[in-house]
Amino acid sequence: MIPLWLIPLFPLVGTIVLAIIALSSSDSKQGPAESITGAVAVLFPILSFLSVVTLSVGMPVEGIRGTIGTWIDTAAIQVNIGFLFDGLSRVMLLFITGIGSLIAIYSVGYMHKDRSFARFFAYINLFLFSMTILVLGDSLLLTFLGWEGVGLCSYLLIGFWHTDLKNTKAGNKAFIVNRVGDVGFLLGMLCLVSIGGSALLSYDALNAWLLNALSLGSISNAMPLLSLAGLLFFFGCTGKSAQIPLLTWLPDAMAGPTPVSALIHAATMVTSGVYLLARLSNLFVLIPAVLNIVLFVGLLTAFWAAIAGLFQNDIKKVLAYSTISQLGYMFMAAGVAAFDVSIFHVFTHAFFKAALFLGAGAVIHSLTGEQDMRRMGGLLKKMPLTSLVMIFGFLAIIGFPGFAGFWSKDLILERLYVSGPMGPYVYAIALLTAVITAVYMGRLIIMTFFGKYRGSKENEAHIHEAPASMLIPMLLLSVGSAFAGFLWAGLIPGAEFFREMLAPVVGAAQSYAMLGHTAAHLSPWIFAALGTLAAIIGMLIAWYLFMRPVPEAKGGSEPQGFGASWTFAFDKLHEYVGIIPTKVVAWLLDVVVNTIIMKAQWLTGGIIEILGDGIRAFQVRKVRLQAALSFIGMALITILVLIYGGLL
Amino acid sequence: MWLHLLVLAPFVAALLMVVTSGFDSKSTSRIAILLGTVFTVFSIRLISVGSIATTPIEWFTLPGTSSTIYYSLVSNGISVWLVFLSCFVSLIALIAAKDSFGINYKNFAIGIFALLGAMNGSFLASDAVLFFFFFEAMVLPAAVLIAAYGGLDRKAAAMNFAIYTLAGSAPMALALWYLLSVGEGSSVVHLTMAYQSAPESLKFILFASFALAFLVKTPLFPFHGWQAQAYAEAPAPLSAVLTGVMSKVGVFGFIFWVIPVFNAAESMMNTIMWIGLFTAVYGALMAIRATDAKNLLAFSSMGHLGLAVAGIFTFSTTMPSAVLVLLVAHGLSASAQFVLTGIAERFACSRDLKQMGGLASRNPMFGFLFGFAGIAALAVPGTAGFIGEFLILISLWEIGPLPALVAGVCLVLSAVYMLRFIQAVLFGKADQVKETPCHKISSFDAAAVGILLVLLVVFGVKPNLITDSLNGIVENEVVADMEVSQDAN
Repeated sequence: MIPLWLIPLFPLVGTIVLAIIALSSSDSKQGPAESITGAVAVLFPILSFLSVVTLSVGMPVEGIRGTIGTWIDTAAIQVNIGFLFDGLSRVMLLFITGIGSLIAIYSVGYMHKDRSFARFFAYINLFLFSMTILVLGDSLLLTFLGWEGVGLCSYLLIGFWHTDLKNTKAGNKAFIVNRVGDVGFLLGMLCLVSIGGSALLSYDALNAWLLNALSLGSISNAMPLLSLAGLLFFFGCTGKSAQIPLLTWLPDAMAGPTPVSALIHAATMVTSGVYLLARLSNLFVLIPAVLNIVLFVGLLTAFWAAIAGLFQNDIKKVLAYSTISQLGYMFMAAGVAAFDVSIFHVFTHAFFKAALFLGAGAVIHSLTGEQDMRRMGGLLKKMPLTSLVMIFGFLAIIGFPGFAGFWSKDLILERLYVSGPMGPYVYAIALLTAVITAVYMGRLIIMTFFGKYRGSKENEAHIHEAPASMLIPMLLLSVGSAFAGFLWAGLIPGAEFFREMLAPVVGAAQSYAMLGHTAAHLSPWIFAALGTLAAIIGMLIAWYLFMRPVPEAKGGSEPQGFGASWTFAFDKLHEYVGIIPTKVVAWLLDVVVNTIIMKAQWLTGGIIEILGDGIRAFQVRKVRLQAALSFIGMALITILVLIYGGLL
Repeated sequence: MWLHLLVLAPFVAALLMVVTSGFDSKSTSRIAILLGTVFTVFSIRLISVGSIATTPIEWFTLPGTSSTIYYSLVSNGISVWLVFLSCFVSLIALIAAKDSFGINYKNFAIGIFALLGAMNGSFLASDAVLFFFFFEAMVLPAAVLIAAYGGLDRKAAAMNFAIYTLAGSAPMALALWYLLSVGEGSSVVHLTMAYQSAPESLKFILFASFALAFLVKTPLFPFHGWQAQAYAEAPAPLSAVLTGVMSKVGVFGFIFWVIPVFNAAESMMNTIMWIGLFTAVYGALMAIRATDAKNLLAFSSMGHLGLAVAGIFTFSTTMPSAVLVLLVAHGLSASAQFVLTGIAERFACSRDLKQMGGLASRNPMFGFLFGFAGIAALAVPGTAGFIGEFLILISLWEIGPLPALVAGVCLVLSAVYMLRFIQAVLFGKADQVKETPCHKISSFDAAAVGILLVLLVVFGVKPNLITDSLNGIVENEVVADMEVSQDAN
């Protein structure tokens, strides 16, 4: 059996090698050879993927654990650097490194002729390192290392083209908003430390402690702190996974190169919040009130973002809001303690959303950077393969029967109805959101691929299918969007491979949550039929509304009017709650308080200066005198002490 | 032996520099850097030796008191690291200043060595008067260096700095004299006994006089008036020493003089914790508003040290390691940032953030180092700063959720100003910057800063390299002191 640390080690080595390549070639005009750099850039993610596969094959049910040393070892805090490879981290790692490798291959084509080619892949490898640490860490603190690490890579990659300050500002926003959530994560860890010491930061120890406290009945003493911890961890998740109230950074994050949006801001990083909830499932099922908050935050986010998706003209922004909306579905599932279902949706979403983003990237690439859908149209004939990939992704995300999203979304809706509080109402809103999803995604497909081409003439001349290095990953992902759902096809008896894989990790928690739950048993076919109906109604609405000439594009791609106030509602909220108060307090401290302090100081200083006439000493430029001056100063003080001390 | 060497040899080195030829700055800088390296090696040796003490040498008897003053030095788990910081950061300063001052390099090196001796002296002195002597002796070389090598307002900054800090520690001199006159010696134990026997009405004044000196030196709000100007006007290598090491003398004074001597005054101590937290917020907000690169760094340092002082006065068992790691991390990252900002100032011919920009595309190597240093200052996990801030958070959490929340807010605010700083210096269109003849970072400078950054990562992954030095007697002593002070309430 190969050691676990190989999984993060490969991308780390890749980062270092690529950083050396990038820095050592920084003086040359052309930059390093793309062939070698690209090979290195793709090799290490693939090696990491292969190690995950190797480990997955022989993994025992209880998982593999490996500690490589101590990290923090002080009087009160002991934390090891240890890895935990079990059913949950296996699934996550398989698609993180797998899709990561595919997107690395795609990026070789996408970033062709970019002067910062090597730097881009150094960041991508650093991201994969952080992401694997996040998922593989056996303690909350190590997960936090990955958690902030992926945030850092996200910042670096959003602002990757840093000569345009718009991009770097979007990066700053992402990092700062995530930092707000990260403080929640940190404080959540502190809650656990004060319950049972730093040992509770380790997942295994936490689970054991919870089980023990539950059986002894002593858990009620710790309940207030446990609930607070759960709430704070979820607050951290709202940052990383772009949920209400910390979701504003994700649409702005689309300023980064499109492969980054696919990898980081759709498939992997933004789902770490869902991962964390599943990892802490044993904690969360004990605090149902917090789970209800998770459910309603997820519901609101899914609905709000779906509406916002209707107003966007920028193709990447539509996909960004749809990511937020889909993440909302995942949190809804977690909110009704269906952690395995939420991870299943993470898994299928990773395929179809990555396919959609890479397809959008290919469109943008061939239109030389055009992202406004009002200047697209009719690309079906010119880019048939890309259209096919996008349409597969589209069918998956709206939940068309058989496609990946159908199975996972269907399971979520079913669980919402069966086991959630206010089940039927929550279910109804979630179903309505599914209709809206089909509308805005239908709008995207129609505006991009159907109708007439509406863009500029010079772009039209060279619209072309993407090169093979980009097409192959896209096609593979579209195959995933079509078939990944069969790993857990609720309608087919026995097709529960995915659930069985996760059962050792989250099964106990979920059956605990279901204790005493006697839900009416409805046939899964009813849910499937209603879900299908929602998708078809949505598609018909989109067809009816958008299969008509699109008004000519004027100005920027931002939504106007009501669309703008809806879309930027939370930006406004952040401005009034966070930014403006901070600025006002900073202004008060700087202009008022500091001025008073300085004035007072100059007044005292002025008096002393007159008394001491000290300036003359400093006009002596000879530094050599300083030693003498030191002693004179000391002597003066001694005399002062003697004089004043005598009076005391 | 090591202790004497580390305190006295820098002064000898300063004298040695006097006799070198000022006109051959190349050879002068070689000698200075060589000597700096030797001191750094000594200090690393001291870390492995750990807690040792010298035989006290009778120095003099303070007139009017019965106390004999000894020249005696002692090292402990915290001071060995601070001595390492002072030697190492001084070395970096000597390297970074290599090409800046021409024939004046010689005098710069003299000043740095004198400062180094005084800083090491204050970290290692076990006698209160000796400590005070070194504490005051630091001010003059620093002030002279600012006055001689600083920016446009250097004279005002130097005066302000010298008078402010000297005036700030004058009351301590009086309080010390009083304690010596009623007590029987000048070691910590004797001062403690003297303080216990002091009349109640005087106790607060004695405490406040000591605390004031360190509040000014660190500095904490509202005694920071000298800091931003001094750091901004000082040449960047000197600013690195001032923030990286000299400010730590204030923090050190709180740990090893204020807490042990005044261990019964916990209500006042709690006040200092809140002052520290307020300073952390204040520094961060001022840094957000700063328009001058070095001012921004000065306020950022103030914020970090405010957090460190707040951590000290939680008296938690995590405190010694928390503060030690935070101080080392801040010393390394802040000095790296000051050195790099000095280089950026040369590239952009300005310290004004609005005038800078685009350095990442013009000079990728510099961009890498500067960005790395900024991210390390953000306390991203994997760097030493994270360990320090996480442990401080744990200490604050033990006091209550509110102090921890305030510290959490500071983490967010530090991201705001640091990312803004990185953006202002590195990003944007390169043509915003005036074309200057030199726009490459010299490989020697890059290597020097690179070592600082590598150490930050190494300590972030293996903080035990630092905290193991606490496993000796000292941690127990500090904790015992704190337990005494807690029992007293």
